[in-house]
Amino acid sequence: MSSSANALAAFVEAAPPGELSNVTSAIKTLANESALKTLEPAYKKYNEDQLTTVKLPGASQSVLVSEHNSLDGDRYYDVESSSSFAFDHATQKASDTQSYVLESSHSDTVKSILKALKTHTDEHFQTSTLGVFPTASDSKIAILIVANKYSPNNFWNGRWRSKYIYDPSSNSLTGSIAVDVHYYEDGNVRLITNKDVTASASSSAADVVKGIAAAERKYQEELNRGFTGLSEGAFKGLRRQLPVTRQKMEWEKVSSYRVGQDIGGAGRR
Amino acid sequence: MSTDPFDAALDLLRRLNPKDTAVNVTRLCDLVPSLTEDLLESVDVPLAVKRDRKTGREFLCCDYNRDGDSWRSPWSNEFEPPLEDGETDSVMPSEKVRKMEIKANEAFDVYRELYFEGGISSVYFWDIDDGFAGCVLLKKSVSPSAKSSGSWDSIHVFEAQDRARRAHYKLTSTVILNLGSSSDNLGGMDLSGNMVRQVEQDMPVEDDSSHVANVGKLVEDMEGKMRNLLQEVYFGKAKDVVGDLRSIAPLSERNRDQAAHREMISGMSK
Repeated sequence: MSSSANALAAFVEAAPPGELSNVTSAIKTLANESALKTLEPAYKKYNEDQLTTVKLPGASQSVLVSEHNSLDGDRYYDVESSSSFAFDHATQKASDTQSYVLESSHSDTVKSILKALKTHTDEHFQTSTLGVFPTASDSKIAILIVANKYSPNNFWNGRWRSKYIYDPSSNSLTGSIAVDVHYYEDGNVRLITNKDVTASASSSAADVVKGIAAAERKYQEELNRGFTGLSEGAFKGLRRQLPVTRQKMEWEKVSSYRVGQDIGGAGRR
Repeated sequence: MSTDPFDAALDLLRRLNPKDTAVNVTRLCDLVPSLTEDLLESVDVPLAVKRDRKTGREFLCCDYNRDGDSWRSPWSNEFEPPLEDGETDSVMPSEKVRKMEIKANEAFDVYRELYFEGGISSVYFWDIDDGFAGCVLLKKSVSPSAKSSGSWDSIHVFEAQDRARRAHYKLTSTVILNLGSSSDNLGGMDLSGNMVRQVEQDMPVEDDSSHVANVGKLVEDMEGKMRNLLQEVYFGKAKDVVGDLRSIAPLSERNRDQAAHREMISGMSK
């Protein structure tokens, strides 16, 4: 791959929540057609990593796209609506819905986790999209939650992603939670977090969801403490709101500050 | 939708992770070489530090004190590393403007100590028609614990146009604030970015020292405002958006509380 194609792929994969189309239109202005054609893998990686949500034609509920529900070609399936669909990675549009019946030794567990998970997410996310799928080898179950909130008119967008793998043979739950917030009014500010989580869960779907709920609650409380820690710690240590004297600087009397103080010592280390 | 490549590049940089701005500028310059000069001039990245070999003091580097791969120190007025032929292609400030530049560096050194209690400052001035222009640079990094760190880079670029016993100042300020924290319980948390603000103001001028004081006051006010703004966005807005994405309290409980609250309010107004 040429360096310009690598650069464009890096731009696509770094698109903030809800801003892929803006990144795409900027790229189209900057690159030529042949470079753009190489971007399909980058779009696919972005959509599968970010759990991109899409409404199926004629449906009101959103479904998500991930590595765990991918079929041959660019088709994906949804358990709840028992359907599969074609997905255009560059435009993030779904088409050609067909019926799809899940064939897995864990079909019943998948469906009961999905049901229990929905009760949990309805209580904690205003809008969220779920996916529960057997893994490729059919030995484990992938559990995915994505919540997006876009407010481009107010220059901010946000995304919460939870990804877990539940192993029914050991009753273990491992995964990660990631939060991504972008604020871009007269600037560009980004919050990016990532936390690996593990929890034990007995064999019932309710217990699996209970493990997820506890891990997410604990993480969110920790993240709130993280904001306070940075605000009280690093941020305060960078620049004072006012000098120790609580007075603004007297610019007409610069020389007076030099008397009896070793000002500037830190800069001369 | 923008079709001008420069606008498209700036739009992209406003969207992509602000921590990667420097590498993304390089990528954009490789992609569209004709944008190189404009991008390097208008996109702010964290300031590089050099040491002045004559005075031993550290100073900050930007496009305004650069000549090729060398940067002029405000302390000795010499380039680091020294220019090969000993001569500069850059236009050095006139004697009058260099005198103000020296005064401004002394003043902002005091300012830096008062507000940052450490860090590095550098001020560069240059001549323009009907006045002078300059940039004031401040940088500080902290790591209050092994688990957290932060850095502040402020870049204030201004023009001062002389008018009768007054001057018209036009200031553009950028603050790059990067904060990060990581621990077993928290995982990784990165809260980084930049904000830009502009202001224009007429201020009285008696002599050249008035300019230094005027620029000082403008920058001091601007940084105070921007510090508040950054606090609001980083610790208010970003945190609120996380709370909007996921509520710790069950939504049914929250909705019930809100309904009860509304009922109480309407009961009181009856």
